[in-house]
Amino acid sequence: MHLPRFKLLQPRSLNEAVEFIDRYGASARLGAGGTDLFVRMKYRVASPEYVVSLKQIPAKAPSIDENGALSVEALTTLRDVVRSDVVANRAPVLAEAAHTVASAQIRTMGTLGGNLCLETRCLYYNQSHTFQYVEPCFKRDGDRCYFVPKGKRCWAVFMGDTAPALVALDALVEVESSAGRRTMPIERLYTHDSLCPVSLSPAEIISTVVIPASGRRTGEAFVKSSPRGGLDFAIVSAAAVLEAGDDGTCSRAAVVLGSIAAMPVRASQAEALLQGKVLTRDLIQEAARTASAEIRPVMHHGHSASYLRRCVEVITEDALSLAFERLVIR
Amino acid sequence: MNKNIVALTVNGEEYDLALEPQVTLLEALRDHLGLTGTKEGCGTGECGSCTVLMDDKPILSCLTLAADCRGSQIVTIEGLAQGGKLTAVQEAFLEKGAVQCGFCTPGMVLSVTALLDENPQPSEEDLKKALEGNLCRCTGYNKIVEAVHQAVETISSPEGEGRQA
Repeated sequence: MHLPRFKLLQPRSLNEAVEFIDRYGASARLGAGGTDLFVRMKYRVASPEYVVSLKQIPAKAPSIDENGALSVEALTTLRDVVRSDVVANRAPVLAEAAHTVASAQIRTMGTLGGNLCLETRCLYYNQSHTFQYVEPCFKRDGDRCYFVPKGKRCWAVFMGDTAPALVALDALVEVESSAGRRTMPIERLYTHDSLCPVSLSPAEIISTVVIPASGRRTGEAFVKSSPRGGLDFAIVSAAAVLEAGDDGTCSRAAVVLGSIAAMPVRASQAEALLQGKVLTRDLIQEAARTASAEIRPVMHHGHSASYLRRCVEVITEDALSLAFERLVIR
Repeated sequence: MNKNIVALTVNGEEYDLALEPQVTLLEALRDHLGLTGTKEGCGTGECGSCTVLMDDKPILSCLTLAADCRGSQIVTIEGLAQGGKLTAVQEAFLEKGAVQCGFCTPGMVLSVTALLDENPQPSEEDLKKALEGNLCRCTGYNKIVEAVHQAVETISSPEGEGRQA
């Protein structure tokens, strides 16, 4: 399969990359690992005039800054995220999530920033349309959805694995543009619109992901349910972060689900149920049931909404139980 | 034409190729250098047949632009055997019958080579994780896993000591 023609720009620094995207705007696409963009270009569902390849820009190793926050550059490959001792120590849920992404080859190429900016996916869109004589869908500038019958909008699902983990960690993203730097909570990176899932303008680029220092006793876990258990996008994924005082009372709970909507979704009722209570197995089961009842999964890749709802309950319980065990051990 | 000179280092040899920007490393290797050991399976990052080593790490050559490989050491399946002598991993694949149709084999061998260079005693879990991106439709994977175990033994045995994976 061949790539369509494009003009290649290879900046040597982030500043140079910012100059390029400022100059070329929507006619340019950023390619970090290329594992999402180039596949879509081969399928001819993306055909930018310019590709700004970020491969020549070196990424610093993840580090702890002066405020005790963990800072991971967006161009850090998923492989380096998985292998970083600092990440394993300070944000194990992020390392665990990055470890479940695709394959060893793709983790070597793909970057954290790229994983956060994945295009939303669906069975119809993510394929070659060369021999497909049907009207295009919303994502291909058409007016229909083949995924949700009679759908009045695009229902494609955001399937990145690191985003739910970072939402659960209350991470911040630093975004660079020619106007300077802005910092925002990671949840604001997403629009909840499948057609345009990431809120950045074409002239903006994520430079760094910052994870604020956490409380002393935390337990974290990421669980992904996938068809083959390897080289897969998630059917549903769950990230859980628990913080507890010495008496076992939960001081902070985060439960975030991935691959069920156009962005990672917090199970806020389940979080509220856990907060301020002494953590027990029964409470965790109740929280999982609550999450399953409050989340409205979008059906995707042949999985019905009722099946996904059941998956949400099972993997939320798995993630919370694992986080709870790790909390006790630490 | 919009061609640029791309300097590639493949299996220790340096090449200067005039390539259009959209040429992938896979196309450069197969169509411009004649190194057809690297295979194109899906072309979209799902099968791992096009795996090559870039600076000792496995990558997918079908999703890497040749122009992005400047300054990197690329190793393909042709670059493993030295002076006609197969590596321990290649020998083990042959002996254990881990090669059937052979289409996945170059990628498999390179993924295993990268794994053993880094972790000469991988657990079953490490091994499966390292090979999750290489699909094989013939062997059912058991023969491949057996071959890796044999390669691990050869490399760690006294005679094999210091021997390259």
